[in-house]
Amino acid sequence: MMQDLLHSEPGLLNFGIVFAGAVLLLFVILGFVTYGILAERKVLGFMQSRHGPNQVGGPWGLLQTVADVLKLLLKEDTIPKLADRPIYIIAPVIAFAPSFMVMAVVPLTDKLQFADVGVGLLYYIAVTGLTTIGMLMGGWASNNKFALLGGMRAAAQMISYEIPLVMSVVGIVLLTGSMNLNDIVAAQENLWYIIMQPIAFIVFFIAATAELNRVPFDLAEAENELIAGFHVEYSGFRWAMFMLAEYVYMFAMASLITVLFLGGWLPLFSFLDFIPGAVWFALKFSAVIWVLIWFRATFPRMRPDQLMEMCWKVLLPIAIANIFLTAIVKEILNLF
Amino acid sequence: MIFSGEFIAFLALALVAIMGGVLLLNLTKVVHMVVALLFTFVSIAGIFILLSAEFVAVVQVLVYAGSITIIMLFGIMLTKPDDESEEQKGGKLRKILTLLGIIGFAFAVYIGIADLNFGSEQVALHVDNTEQIGIALYSKYIIPFELTSVVLLVALIGAIVIAKMDDEKEAEKE
Repeated sequence: MMQDLLHSEPGLLNFGIVFAGAVLLLFVILGFVTYGILAERKVLGFMQSRHGPNQVGGPWGLLQTVADVLKLLLKEDTIPKLADRPIYIIAPVIAFAPSFMVMAVVPLTDKLQFADVGVGLLYYIAVTGLTTIGMLMGGWASNNKFALLGGMRAAAQMISYEIPLVMSVVGIVLLTGSMNLNDIVAAQENLWYIIMQPIAFIVFFIAATAELNRVPFDLAEAENELIAGFHVEYSGFRWAMFMLAEYVYMFAMASLITVLFLGGWLPLFSFLDFIPGAVWFALKFSAVIWVLIWFRATFPRMRPDQLMEMCWKVLLPIAIANIFLTAIVKEILNLF
Repeated sequence: MIFSGEFIAFLALALVAIMGGVLLLNLTKVVHMVVALLFTFVSIAGIFILLSAEFVAVVQVLVYAGSITIIMLFGIMLTKPDDESEEQKGGKLRKILTLLGIIGFAFAVYIGIADLNFGSEQVALHVDNTEQIGIALYSKYIIPFELTSVVLLVALIGAIVIAKMDDEKEAEKE
């Protein structure tokens, strides 16, 4: 549907439809973020033998996040006196906007997608890089040495882990012969890439966790020990923007992992295809989110030097070896 | 067809790109300049998309807006240069000469592009352009491509050697 709209004549009506679609997607993502945070706290509580939120909004704490967000909105918006005002104000926006932009190319089902871009995969990775600049700017503009250190740490981590992230998906691109996310899903009709590309999956998952700044790679914003990093000086709504960007990335990255490795909206077995694609996508997506939360509950944090060594000396060589392996296997299969 | 969507999009992107460039020249703080430059890079990527060159657009964002801007920011933040660039001083003569230079340049560019003709446009260029770039790069232009990779490798090794030399000097000092 969106595809036809994009090729139709420009006009106020079409603009309105596309705009309404984007707003709808934004609300879906905000809904996910609200209950994603609650789910995270509940699952963490379950894994650590405690209750988690259980007061606001019934026994499951269903309104806990809503109350938290309201509290954040009502908080005083502080700007340090010696901060670089324009950059301090624009940094959360630059960090948040790309996280929503990447959702445009991720196909949720075969019909539910905003833009069917030929280089969808590369677009995702390119636009993600812009968030790093927002974090770096926020850290610098706060005029606080801890914020600056945190920003540097975040930027170094994110640009380093981007490389194994890209390298690990080259195998998939080789097998599919396309960087279009729809084609990648279509190529998994018979066998998911998690089985064809297990090495790529492991490397991608580790690098994705690092890109998301989640435990065990959350040095950029360890709330308790390392005084939070680049957003120490932020409060209220601006701080919420940074956190929102992070959870939207979690949504986007889980969708991308589902699309790349778990067959997107395709059913598990072909006789189960009476269940709609959206349900399959949601199930796989939730499984990925669950694993990310599970990581957070069970892994200790890494040290910065270990983090960098892990990226350059372990993940990158494995990812490159995987490219060679995939190319060789593909050539051998072509012989027969 | 004057006010097609493409035209409006082009106007907006071009405006942002030029404004980014002007701000880059006029702002006084180095970090602000880099942010202005970021806007220019991103809107140029948008213009590439308007021209159906999606691969080039994405690479523009990946390399220029993503990596190069971050490297510049890192360099500026770690070295702490004199933050404010000083006001340019110059007499009237200098200003008149600058104006003449600008007029001359504008005139030269106008003559250059007034009746520019790119020949007949190839229609199929935007179809699967990533694939077409790949095929051209790995078949027709394979030798320049490989040579470029060698040049990059040499630069990489050179950077490592220079970094190592600093280490040794500091070790000798201690």
